[in-house]
Amino acid sequence: MEQLLAIWVEPLSLEQPDGSTLRDTLALFDALDALCPFTEAVRLGLYVLPLRAPSRFLGGDDAVLRAVRQVVLDVVGVSPKLGVAEGLFCAELAAHRELVVPLGASDAFRRAQPLDVLGRKDLTTTCQRLGLYTLGAFADLEPARVAERFNKHALMLHRVARGELAELEDQRDVRLAQRLARLRGESGLFEEQSGFFGQRGAADDRAEAAAHRVRRRLGPQAVAVASLRGGRSPEDRATLVPWGSPVANVRDAAPWPGQLAAPSPATTLAHPVPLQLRDDANRPVMLSARGALSGEPAHVLFSSPLRREIVWYAGPWPLVERWWSRRRRRAHLQLVLTTGEALLAVAESSRWWLVGIYD
Amino acid sequence: MTTIGYSYEHMFAFSPPRPSLSPELLARLRPVSLAKSRTLPLDEPWRALVPGGGLRRGSTVAVEAPVGWGGLSLAISLVAEASAQGHWVAVVGVDDPGIVAIAELGVDLRRVLFVPRPRGAWAEASADLLDGVDLVLVRPSSRTGFGAARRLMDRVRERGTVLIALSEPRTAWPLPVDLSFRVTRAEWVASTRLDARYLTVLVSGRGEAVRGVERVVVVPNRRGRAEAT
Repeated sequence: MEQLLAIWVEPLSLEQPDGSTLRDTLALFDALDALCPFTEAVRLGLYVLPLRAPSRFLGGDDAVLRAVRQVVLDVVGVSPKLGVAEGLFCAELAAHRELVVPLGASDAFRRAQPLDVLGRKDLTTTCQRLGLYTLGAFADLEPARVAERFNKHALMLHRVARGELAELEDQRDVRLAQRLARLRGESGLFEEQSGFFGQRGAADDRAEAAAHRVRRRLGPQAVAVASLRGGRSPEDRATLVPWGSPVANVRDAAPWPGQLAAPSPATTLAHPVPLQLRDDANRPVMLSARGALSGEPAHVLFSSPLRREIVWYAGPWPLVERWWSRRRRRAHLQLVLTTGEALLAVAESSRWWLVGIYD
Repeated sequence: MTTIGYSYEHMFAFSPPRPSLSPELLARLRPVSLAKSRTLPLDEPWRALVPGGGLRRGSTVAVEAPVGWGGLSLAISLVAEASAQGHWVAVVGVDDPGIVAIAELGVDLRRVLFVPRPRGAWAEASADLLDGVDLVLVRPSSRTGFGAARRLMDRVRERGTVLIALSEPRTAWPLPVDLSFRVTRAEWVASTRLDARYLTVLVSGRGEAVRGVERVVVVPNRRGRAEAT
């Protein structure tokens, strides 16, 4: 996985009412961006950039750290906390502790962290009662056990703890980039998104006003827009982002090798649900390292005691891809149940998950 | 200024009764707006099944299907053509929309607003959106009350929007609608993968609408689109 340099600038993390925080955030972003064009403003006070390219350019990791520290001192007048690790989650932790985690050691670093770094007090308390004190101990729980005991959100945290996800769901402020763009006087992204043949009509204005009304009623995350990006499976190719946040609206026109063929499931679960497959003798059906099934799936079991009979299945279609830098092995399976429903399941880390419903 | 007010009143008070138009002339009169702009276009398989070949503005459409029987795909296929031709669509209460499938059905994602989890306020969110978009597809999170349904349908008529309400048979839309699509049978055709789903759909409506035609429509086909059989 790629090494990231996280830059934590404490004074910029709390927004002042006079708007100075956002102006300074933009000034620092521009200065860092000049140093490394892949700099991201993750949220107020936190920036991140991939270490490899500037390191090669400036002659070593230490040279990058020195240059970044100087830039922050020049622009904001305070010394930042810097940290290096693989993945945004670990990189931010490293920054708070001012550590450079060497390449390949991020797994061990993450596993040694106390549970409260996940930011969920209830989860920490429950796990401590179970005698689990570190992310590593939590990560070793079976996903199905986590699903039984906690909610969907905890499943995502569990995937972060296992290193399957590189960042927490709420680690990024998706609105920040748009606010910076607006401050810079660039046109809002919504205009770009909604323009029909490059023109913006009264209908677009009406839709925008309606979206604003719903947001006022239900909160800033309530309205979302969708776009497609590259990827092989429907759950990877779909992005639903809060309306008004920056989105690379790239239509996925080019063929993507090994893409799961149409038709795609009309429901794609944002939080996959764990399930089990059993054969006729009620033995679990697993996926071998070679991508073969250990038996014929005859029943599907959900974690709620719900059992359904399978009348037909197709697959598995294995996907081996690089996800960050770790090889990620997955396989999809289409199932049709006696009730007439068709499902898309995926095997990952020797578990089955429901990812789509052909509704 | 007061004299003007007075003169208006005066005018109305003493205006002669309007001359009645002859029946021949009445028959030749048309509303000012063209029929074309009063309906929203439908995708090919539905065009032949619906009077006028499109969704009349101000009408409410119900889509009813048991869980997993393609109700969502069907409802999306109803908005696909209008979306492709530049109309705005809002999708309310569909928790985890399959974006790829929606695009495959022909919807232009650049003009779709999603309100995935309206947290019990689906009716209010839909009402807000009815003012701003051309079609609202809503999946109520609970059984729809008469009052909420009535208010939404009145709003739809007033704004000239189209409301598509997606439900299961046990939580069906409580009021008669202008057009309804009921899935009575769903059958997958598969080779080495899922190829196509044949939906038997009962299309019915009121007024000039058809009196219950049952047709088989493919939603989705091998390319993810809706298709006539």
